[in-house]
Amino acid sequence: MTNYCGYMGKVQMLDLGTRRVSDYVWTDVARERYIGGKAMASKILYDNLTGKETPFGEDNLIVIATGPLTGTGAPSSNRFDISSLSPLTGITSSSNCGGNFGHYLKKAGLDALIIRGKCDELTWLEIGNGVFIFHPADELRGMKTGETQTALAEKLKEAHGKPVNCGMVVIGPAGENLVRYASVISGERAAGRAGMGAVFGSKNLKGIVAYGNAIPTIYDKEKTAAHNKKWVQAIRKHPLTGEQLPRMGTAGLVSSMQVHGLLSTRNYAKGQFEHFEAVSGEALAEDLNISNNGCLSCPIRCSRRVPVDGKNVKGPELETLGLLGGNIENADLEKICRWNYELDELGMDTISTAGTVAWAMEANEKGLWDNGLAFGQTEKLSQVFEDIAHRRGIGAELAEGSKRLSEKYGGTEFAIQSKGMELAAYEPRRAVGQGLGYAVANRGGCHLNGGYLVVLEGLGLNVNGQTPQGKADLCMVMQDLMETISMGGQCLFTSYGVVPGFLLRRPNGVITKTVNAAVPFVGPVVRILNRFPEIACFKLPLLPYPYELEYTTGMKMNIGKFIRCGERSYNVERAVNARFGVSAANDKLPKRLTDIPQDPKNPRTRVPLEQMKKTYYRARGWEKNGLPSEKKLRSLGIF
Amino acid sequence: MAAVTVKLFGTLRLDSGVKVFTAEADRVRDLYPAILAEIRRRKPESRLTEKELHSCLAAVNGQQANLRTKLRDGDEVYFFPAVAGG
Repeated sequence: MTNYCGYMGKVQMLDLGTRRVSDYVWTDVARERYIGGKAMASKILYDNLTGKETPFGEDNLIVIATGPLTGTGAPSSNRFDISSLSPLTGITSSSNCGGNFGHYLKKAGLDALIIRGKCDELTWLEIGNGVFIFHPADELRGMKTGETQTALAEKLKEAHGKPVNCGMVVIGPAGENLVRYASVISGERAAGRAGMGAVFGSKNLKGIVAYGNAIPTIYDKEKTAAHNKKWVQAIRKHPLTGEQLPRMGTAGLVSSMQVHGLLSTRNYAKGQFEHFEAVSGEALAEDLNISNNGCLSCPIRCSRRVPVDGKNVKGPELETLGLLGGNIENADLEKICRWNYELDELGMDTISTAGTVAWAMEANEKGLWDNGLAFGQTEKLSQVFEDIAHRRGIGAELAEGSKRLSEKYGGTEFAIQSKGMELAAYEPRRAVGQGLGYAVANRGGCHLNGGYLVVLEGLGLNVNGQTPQGKADLCMVMQDLMETISMGGQCLFTSYGVVPGFLLRRPNGVITKTVNAAVPFVGPVVRILNRFPEIACFKLPLLPYPYELEYTTGMKMNIGKFIRCGERSYNVERAVNARFGVSAANDKLPKRLTDIPQDPKNPRTRVPLEQMKKTYYRARGWEKNGLPSEKKLRSLGIF
Repeated sequence: MAAVTVKLFGTLRLDSGVKVFTAEADRVRDLYPAILAEIRRRKPESRLTEKELHSCLAAVNGQQANLRTKLRDGDEVYFFPAVAGG
């Protein structure tokens, strides 16, 4: 139970082996400290994992968590989070998804579901109004994700005598076959990263269907409605969330990344792709985009619809365009659309699949591993992806990811991963703050968990991407901001609104140029605010999240508390990872990015990681080993 | 004056339908009249102004440039509206 609105007031733990469901104690104090979503999941993992568990072991947990804003109608608030020990990285990880499962999990009466143990046979789970029903799923074995969801909807219809409005999470063949970067799919949206699909597979869990009639209450309906109306208007007026993302999706960043030398090309050997126009957002919009699409309650609608074999399917994101485009020297946009669809159907992360294949192409070229793959030769890639999902031929090895493969065959210096997770499409040698983020990110080479500084270093503002000045502090504050936005259940794209629109519309103006020049020097201010967040005991319209949380839940919120929640979340996740051996030594990037300049004539075009890491740990108040001390954790209320 | 190829990106391109054309100019900013003329030739109802073009970001031969950058024969000049991300 809870005194706060927005929540359903119930968290439950399900043991798949014994089929026993129990209430998990999650108090209002915990809600105040961790809000929900990823942070809540991290605390649950902190309280339950000792460091001895393994990703595919029965003692590993899956936490599916929503935020208090999920399903309330707040802008872009349909996100939910799946956290677990990752088979790709061996440490805790989370995967955020815009599918409608979170919304329906709350309708079923739950804020979060914790899963442990393992089913005896392949199973799908039905959660209806708080009742758990186990169904054998042997006839679904080997089915792709779209087919699986159609089959489950049909089974539900048969059982109830009518179609049931529900949310689903399912895995495809990749999850069943324990591909280390298998995804979980909800509708057409993916919890793509970190191999959560393989954890489902290891527990013989093919999918979960949730439905029900519960509805989260709103603390102050009038204020919430008025605030949402203003916020949606602001989102629609903002140059990124109101123009670029609806018009071109995230794909609109490809051309800009090209000019800034940020577009991963030829397994990150370069930052510019000669044929970038062919795989750009402009090309997608002009030649293939059928319509825009978006998650529930999202005014941005960044998703694309494209044709594949006469079907109208979800189009590729920027990451997929970059990594299955220039990074493997492919300039065929239709192929990328096809692969994107196929990978979602197989239930495989497009980023890690593409990163692993790019590594394999280079390993083959260098004579390290004779695998038949080559840059620019993409005719057989659909078959390769199928082989990975079914662990056949070279697919069985590719299913292990680039870190494990490079440790086996050599070529670690060009395995573009951090902590085992392949990097996103942003080449960090021209945006060194983004490089720091990739290295220190709790879940590995993730652009978002890394703080997404690239939005300041070229893709939004134009802060000098080569200087390490101020980047550690900015990285910290951006990471914490991302954490807190995610906790509520909102999409990180809403954070673009924090950058005032006029700065983006007038990049050559005096004010914007001054801001670009000044940003690297704001580090000390950021650090003071982070150390003493109680100074910020107020709310500002520029940061709408504290208002939304307060009006929806009734929880007193201000900027200081908001920032502190983000910091607490980042620290608790780090503390769990410390139990699994993570320290400063794991916060690293491949030598290609730290030792070899992108431009041979400009030695600054590399990531000066060690220098920035030290500043980052100091800014976080962590020890030199890159870990929070007990005292630090206690100061954040982490017990 | 240098003979250059001009390519438009982002909403500048989606709104006007102009992808690429050739023009002559000494510096990047001297291309404004040619861009406006090309856009109006394709889309007469366009209300784009030089002031708005001044808010664009430019690149010459794939590298970031400023509006005063000198041009040479054969250069390829990209124009991005500010909203495409700077």
